[in-house]
Amino acid sequence: MYKYNHFIPLSMYGVKNKDIIPEQWYNITPDLPEPLSPPRDHDPERSSIDLLNRILPLEVLKQEFTSRRYEKIPDEILRQYEQAGRPTPLIRARNLESFLNFTGKIFYKYEGATVTGSHKINAAIPQAYYAAQEGVTEVATETGAGQWGTATALAASLNGIKSKIFMVNVSFRQKPLRKRIIEIYGGNVVASPSTLTDYGRQILKKEPEHPGTLGIAISEAVQYTLDNNIRYLMGSVENSVITFQSIIGQEAQKQLEIEGEEPDVLIGCVGGGSNFSGFVFPFMKTDVEMIASAASEVPKFSKGKYRYDLIDTAGILPQLKMISLGADYVPPPIYSGGLRYHGAAPALSMLVNNGRIRTDEVTEEKSMEAMQIFARTQGIVPAPESAHAIATAIDYCRNHENQGKTVVLNVSGHGLLDLSIFGD
Amino acid sequence: MKLALYFTFPYPSRVAFDKFINRTLLLNYEYVELGIPTEHPYYDGPIVRRTHGKAMEEFSMKLLEDTVHMIREKGKKVYALAYCNLFENDPDGFMSSMEDAGFDGLILPDLLTDYYSIRKDIASSVSSHGLELIPFFNSTTPDASINEILQLTNSWVYFGLQPSTGIRVPLDIPSMYSRIRNLCGEREIIVGFGINSAGTIKELRKIGFDGIAVGSAFVNSMENDDQVAFDLQIKMLESETHG
Ligand SMILES: Cc1ncc(COP(=O)(O)O)c(C=O)c1O
Repeated sequence: MYKYNHFIPLSMYGVKNKDIIPEQWYNITPDLPEPLSPPRDHDPERSSIDLLNRILPLEVLKQEFTSRRYEKIPDEILRQYEQAGRPTPLIRARNLESFLNFTGKIFYKYEGATVTGSHKINAAIPQAYYAAQEGVTEVATETGAGQWGTATALAASLNGIKSKIFMVNVSFRQKPLRKRIIEIYGGNVVASPSTLTDYGRQILKKEPEHPGTLGIAISEAVQYTLDNNIRYLMGSVENSVITFQSIIGQEAQKQLEIEGEEPDVLIGCVGGGSNFSGFVFPFMKTDVEMIASAASEVPKFSKGKYRYDLIDTAGILPQLKMISLGADYVPPPIYSGGLRYHGAAPALSMLVNNGRIRTDEVTEEKSMEAMQIFARTQGIVPAPESAHAIATAIDYCRNHENQGKTVVLNVSGHGLLDLSIFGD
Repeated sequence: MKLALYFTFPYPSRVAFDKFINRTLLLNYEYVELGIPTEHPYYDGPIVRRTHGKAMEEFSMKLLEDTVHMIREKGKKVYALAYCNLFENDPDGFMSSMEDAGFDGLILPDLLTDYYSIRKDIASSVSSHGLELIPFFNSTTPDASINEILQLTNSWVYFGLQPSTGIRVPLDIPSMYSRIRNLCGEREIIVGFGINSAGTIKELRKIGFDGIAVGSAFVNSMENDDQVAFDLQIKMLESETHG
């Protein structure tokens, strides 16, 4: 169906958005090489797994433990995806190829083209939709970089419900524009640690200027959810989020097929692992190389351990087996808030641990250089998180100069609200 | 439909355990699973978790042998439900003691997760002691791992419905069943974890499962020494499965 000659414009064949946006999400669990270690309770007195019934929308919880390989995307969600800018483009980065004197091809999937400017909207829409369907009137979440909070605020408004967003204190201070945009979308944003939860109050009492961490912000959002009997939306790490994000990789597969291309390597950045996993997992049955790029300052791949650990610092949620620097690890305040998380999604961690997925770690300085190169060649200011993937891709191209490789890169977001990384 | 009853051994005390197990022996059911107590019953919910500590204090190998013997005499098969973390350092020693105790086989809930890298060694240790290994997996176990463990074994299959015992998260059971049935072919599938009501049992029976395993449901009545409640629960299970 997609065997088009790529010299002829696609529109002549009537390729529509709906031909590229997949009708199903892809869940990798049944196709993994080893079983995923199940979530684990750590409090002997109660079941944190059972507690998820009061934290997550039921349909999301169902998809967390599902064995179904493909999950049909409801029509209303497909409609919202399209309104949010899907499919996102797959663009050949010819200027970057020339800049690098690269004899192969570089393509990038541009998630910055969604209305909120990153891939996060892909997971926010279904969760807000299911919450609203179940009669919930408000949702809560955390945000590091601000991208997830932005996506949640819009997704909640699109589905007619309110949102409360706990934003990691350093980001709250570094990124006043993020707070603004979340409010414009109808979200209510507070700095975390906050005075809204017991957990936040305890931390503030000990350290009033605490910079906050994603682990703390998650704890507060979950606590607030339980205190107010609302529902919590998950930004990354959990299986269902990875499944929702599979729309990125599935679109990219179709777009590459239309272009008549087969990738040799897929590259993306990793915070909790959602954009990377969503991008690469649909390709897992091929032998394409995969490289996950994290921040050197938060060296989860080189220094983290593959073990059971807490998702949230307060330990309300069940433990997951993942590559982790430790739930109480306080990361340095690098600008890429989205890469500061201590762990990585369980399925991704397993595939890194068994060697299927290679890893790279990039310094902030190198990522800023990549941001500038990408802006000056392709005209896009990438999100600082995405710039890590770009830096890894640039390195890859430099090390594989004359091999005619096809490199496909996921640019998870734009950085237009992150320009203060270059100074005020 | 078959019925498997799970008891952490010997909970709540040696005497009470003996009394309760004796109340079931004349009833119609097929399998008994005896939980060998451990410090870390990771995939059990809070109810069964609570039984392990007490049972560890009360545990006696002699009583275990007598119990297994007594249950087998009534024509029921007896399996040890054991976490691999119990025998990490000496699988062969542990298998010998299970063989000596007279068990028909073993159910190892963490074999395909935390002990995945040594699954084949453990499986061969189990069979070299003349014990049946009951394949245990849940809905998130990948197809390839299910196929492999089915090939390594011949017995019935234990399917863990919920992510841990005694809790309930929403699940799409018919679609889980059709996937598992496809993989298992004709093998008998006993489903456990989180089952305690007649309604659920009817539903599972209708969907096509061959049997159920129940454990958390009667912990409270054993703890409270409530024989009447215990009898009612067991009879309900008997009639829902064999009625
Ligand atoms: C633009 C962008 N990219 C990447 C990430 C990292 O998250 P994940 O690894 O879940 O994609 C974030 C998280 O906030 C982000 O905003």
